[in-house]
Amino acid sequence: MSQTNRIAKGLIDTSRTVDFTFNGRAMQGHAGDTLASALLANGQLLVGRSFKYHRPRGIFTAGSEEPNALVHLRDGARQEPNTRATVAELYDGLTATSQNHRGSLEHDLMAVTDLMSPFLSAGFYYKTFMWPRAFWEKLYEPAIRASAGLGRLSMEDDPDTYDKGYLHCDLLVIGAGPAGLSAALAGGRSGARVILADEDFRMGGRLNAETLAVDDMPGSAWTEAALAELRAMPNVRLMTRTTIYGAYDHGVYGALERVTDHLPDPGVKPRQVLWRIYSRRAVLAAGATERPIAFGNNDRPGIMLAGAVRTYVNRYGVTPGQTMAVFTNNDDGWRTAADLAAKGVDVRAIVDTRDRAAVCDVPGARHIRGAAVMDTVGRKALKSITLTDGQVIPCDALAVSGGWNPTVHLTCHQRGKPEWNEAIDAFVPGAHLPAGMVVAGAANGQLTLAAALDEGRKAANAQLKDLGFTPSRKPGPKAEDEPREGAPVWYVPESRKRAWLDLQNDVTVKDIKQAHRENFRSVEHMKRYTTLGMATDQGKTSNIPALAIMAKCTGKSIPETGTTIFRPPYTPVPIGALAGRARGRDFRPYRLTPSHEWAKANGATFVEVGNWLRAQWFVRPGEKGWRDSVDREALQTRQTVGICDVTTLGKIEIQGRDAAAFLNKVYANGFAKLPVGRIRYGIMLREDGICYDDGTTARMGENHFVMTTTTANAVLVFRRMEFARQCLWPDMDVHLISTTDGWAQFAVAGPKSRDLLRKVVDKEHDISNDAFPFMACGEVTVCGGTPARLFRISFSGELAFEVAVPARYGNDMMRVLMEAGREFDAVPYGTEALGVMRIEKGHAAGNELDGRTTAHNLGLGRMVSAAKDCIGKTLSQRPELQRDDAVKLVGFRPVDRSRNLIAGSHFISQGRDAVMANDEGWMSSVAWSPSLGHSIGLGFIRSGDARMGEVVRAVSPVHDTEMQVEITSPHFIDPQGERLRA
Amino acid sequence: MPEFTLTAAPPLAGYDRDFGAVTLKAPEHLAIVSIALPLGGEDAAKKAIKAAFGVNLPEVGRSDVAKDKSAALMRLSSDQAFALFPCETPDAERQIAAKLDGAAYTTDQSDVWCALEISGTGARAALERICMIDLHPDAFALNAIARTVMEHLGVIIARTGDNTYLLLSASSSAQSFLHALETSIENTQ
Amino acid sequence: MLINHPLLGPRDAAEFTYLGDACLIERPDPDAKDAAERFLEYGYLRDNVAGEMRELWYHEQGDRSWLVVTRDTLTHEITRVEIARDVARERGRST
Repeated sequence: MSQTNRIAKGLIDTSRTVDFTFNGRAMQGHAGDTLASALLANGQLLVGRSFKYHRPRGIFTAGSEEPNALVHLRDGARQEPNTRATVAELYDGLTATSQNHRGSLEHDLMAVTDLMSPFLSAGFYYKTFMWPRAFWEKLYEPAIRASAGLGRLSMEDDPDTYDKGYLHCDLLVIGAGPAGLSAALAGGRSGARVILADEDFRMGGRLNAETLAVDDMPGSAWTEAALAELRAMPNVRLMTRTTIYGAYDHGVYGALERVTDHLPDPGVKPRQVLWRIYSRRAVLAAGATERPIAFGNNDRPGIMLAGAVRTYVNRYGVTPGQTMAVFTNNDDGWRTAADLAAKGVDVRAIVDTRDRAAVCDVPGARHIRGAAVMDTVGRKALKSITLTDGQVIPCDALAVSGGWNPTVHLTCHQRGKPEWNEAIDAFVPGAHLPAGMVVAGAANGQLTLAAALDEGRKAANAQLKDLGFTPSRKPGPKAEDEPREGAPVWYVPESRKRAWLDLQNDVTVKDIKQAHRENFRSVEHMKRYTTLGMATDQGKTSNIPALAIMAKCTGKSIPETGTTIFRPPYTPVPIGALAGRARGRDFRPYRLTPSHEWAKANGATFVEVGNWLRAQWFVRPGEKGWRDSVDREALQTRQTVGICDVTTLGKIEIQGRDAAAFLNKVYANGFAKLPVGRIRYGIMLREDGICYDDGTTARMGENHFVMTTTTANAVLVFRRMEFARQCLWPDMDVHLISTTDGWAQFAVAGPKSRDLLRKVVDKEHDISNDAFPFMACGEVTVCGGTPARLFRISFSGELAFEVAVPARYGNDMMRVLMEAGREFDAVPYGTEALGVMRIEKGHAAGNELDGRTTAHNLGLGRMVSAAKDCIGKTLSQRPELQRDDAVKLVGFRPVDRSRNLIAGSHFISQGRDAVMANDEGWMSSVAWSPSLGHSIGLGFIRSGDARMGEVVRAVSPVHDTEMQVEITSPHFIDPQGERLRA
Repeated sequence: MPEFTLTAAPPLAGYDRDFGAVTLKAPEHLAIVSIALPLGGEDAAKKAIKAAFGVNLPEVGRSDVAKDKSAALMRLSSDQAFALFPCETPDAERQIAAKLDGAAYTTDQSDVWCALEISGTGARAALERICMIDLHPDAFALNAIARTVMEHLGVIIARTGDNTYLLLSASSSAQSFLHALETSIENTQ
Repeated sequence: MLINHPLLGPRDAAEFTYLGDACLIERPDPDAKDAAERFLEYGYLRDNVAGEMRELWYHEQGDRSWLVVTRDTLTHEITRVEIARDVARERGRST
């Protein structure tokens, strides 16, 4: 196939031929073509099948509003469905295939649905597939899904990468047509930081599509000059291929830049960048969208909006047909005829709904006044049109103009409502605009070139003045105002055949009338009932005509009928772009413990704890499963000594004259009297009296404490303490700073822990039980002078210490501790063994501090000091939270010691049914205790502390099991605490 | 002689990579000490800082270099500043505490943070991909600092030269932040 | 959204975390006779206004200051931003 419809050079580079294929057929276009213009050049008018009826469809527009010409672009993993051929830039080797047909595009087996259209009217699915209900999942939905839909996904991983970014400017200009260029020039010349963004790959908007002159130059030439001036300005950033898709709060805009979509080989650079643009002010110069007129069979390939025809003729040098007709209700349509004729295209007729004289002279064209097109012939390509007066005009393409709608979408993104402007019979931006935005040019209803240029400049200058810039005195561009009168005609009532409104979702005039008859009259109801405007194009060409038809049906005016609210995005944004880099391993950042490298080299399996990667256990040769490793680590620790990296616990340094008084406020128990060099365990309450965190706090000096928090709550505790310090007790001298990452901290636990540490801690520091008893803390040095902090605390229940060194030494400290411990058979242990040992010891952790439990529930009620106020104290005293029969934290063991307890089981007394009403509590943590040789658990049960020895049912409906369990003390190991004080 | 000795291994020690228009490197031996101004003792603390460094405590969001160029001060919030200076030994906090002589609370932050310096004509374009702060010279002049978030990570950014920025992020996630920066640079080269 | 921080200028709301009604500053006197009742109100009976509201925001990824932001919850318009510590002092909170 050759470029039979290429009639002129246009603004493309005809010296560069570009090869591409459509449905496997080799075709050629030129650099500067879109896929649509190249298809038209090759005479390929049929490009797809419609969504519902599988009607043959062609190219309808020349821009992002395209409802029809959706294709699969590229192939393999990069295949992208629903790509608008009208915005896809042609590149060498491009492959495109048509969508939504079974069999070939020309002989779609699903086209039979078109014959069934009398049954497939609005609301068909709602009415038909209601019953029987059981058929929904198995029959109706799969069948509907198989026949509906547009393009298909490749079902392969997206091989491209995406990125995000942040831009700042004084003035954002949205759209680089006449108004936008004029605004950007004004902005640039004033010295303001300007961003000019346009969705097209060539800036200029309608200036590239028309034959109108600016400053006595062709519009496209003036555009080139304006862009050259803007490019030379360091304060101006030009962003082509960039859609401003959303207007958000406070001058923030969302933009999608298509970086590599037009390249034969996208390479490794991000395919698209999702920008967040912070603008102090914005000029919306988004232009206008032409609207169609609905008439019978107005969806045939070859029927196109008149402005789009001008774009193809003037910019791309392509005519959609060899024998053309124009159908218009306004002056603008005449220019299409004139431009076509000027390029030598045979224009057969200009059908004007108005009974008035010719707007201009179009050689060879018949002017048919006061008539309309009511039907067309030609299944896969237009053959003729039939007028209301009965005459039939043969033609292979028809240009339709129903007037223009300002592109007001972004003005609505902050709930602004467009207003009806009778002078142009269209909605224009309402008074309530997103903060900082003004609208200029066609988007503001200024539908002529001179007016758009003028308003763009003035709008920008007004914004610049507000920002304190001095507008340039340079005169603005000059142009003539072209004729643009029109009389609204939305559809041709004489049409007997289906007249299409929403070409993408196959909604007809009849469907709107039916919605009216069935009382779905509000715009929002009409939309949802008919699906009008709900396709990927969001009804850019169909919403307003449909609204006009509904207005006619209800006898109301269009503004009384209303308009729909536009929401972001203006055009679809790929999920990949929204995800940006956050995919796979890069979904979120990782935090590594200081001994990560050592752990990696020593058989560690890692577990994600928040963002942290922690060693879960360390495998040794011969171990068959994780339990082997965990049991060994726990047993060896209790037998001699084990070492665990506990750096992830939050560390907050608290300094100030009022540090102790402050801790008294944020902890339930008292800290004011804690001596320097000593540590205390503390619990924190929310103001509602529920426990939310626990940890130890060491008094390093009179006005200096070091608090530890649980790993998970480190950020939350810090935030709440800042709230307490700034908002509740603002005159306390307290200062908080996190040092979590600064100190590599290791638990050294087990009967040999002191012996081990004596080899590491420098000799001048006495760490004997007398000098450094349980709950002592202090600054020491290790390994010959390295500063360290030593804490005598125990989570395992053994004689234990935690030693902290500056994080830079952390990895080596792990090595040193292991070497020093070799004579004791020291083991490294991970989070699993840590968990086993804390359950054996009966220490509460996240499973117990689950946001529902109080100190009373945890058996720590006496820690809530009666002598002082603290956050959460008053409400923790509520009678309901202090009941004697409240759930209490106790231990559990299976009566049949061979069975494993199940966390999440609920407790039911003997002889009672396992129903919610009889629920007495739940198992919060379980472990297999290698020291005891059976499964153990911690849990909450009503009056638990008074029920030692009682056997209850532990029921887990989720696992469909139950077992008999005995209530015990939560302290399975060393209940008197002798070991940790040794 | 102690039985064992410890070798320091900061997260990105020795990292130095030339990407063409951008160079990224991890400065070595950068000590960081936080200085908190006691409530009611702000004036005394500021006087002590002036005496110790020869310059006034900068305004919030600004940094300044000590008169003898031995250290830089960053003012992070109304009651908190960081002193940054070269120091190989793990006693940075003591050095600053001695200089301020009890007029302010000090904490060693050297190992809390990991520093990266990005420089070159492409530095700003690379940072545009992850940094919400406006880094245009008019908005973020020399010696400006900001504490913000990049790729979910808390970051302190300081403009230390025409095309040079110092970035401090948490040492535990230094590898993730480095990856974020390298990706940004590669994506904008 | 942008929050115009009194010390730092406009910063993206993504740097902040949100808490709620600024009345949370006004923690009741725990020694008052009706303390239990007032704490219940403080904890559970806050207003959720459709319109102008004073809210607590925390500049977590910034200078760690708590702010009182006067914001219209319908339009997101922010008319005033104050340092919460100053507000707390104005309300008579101290140590």
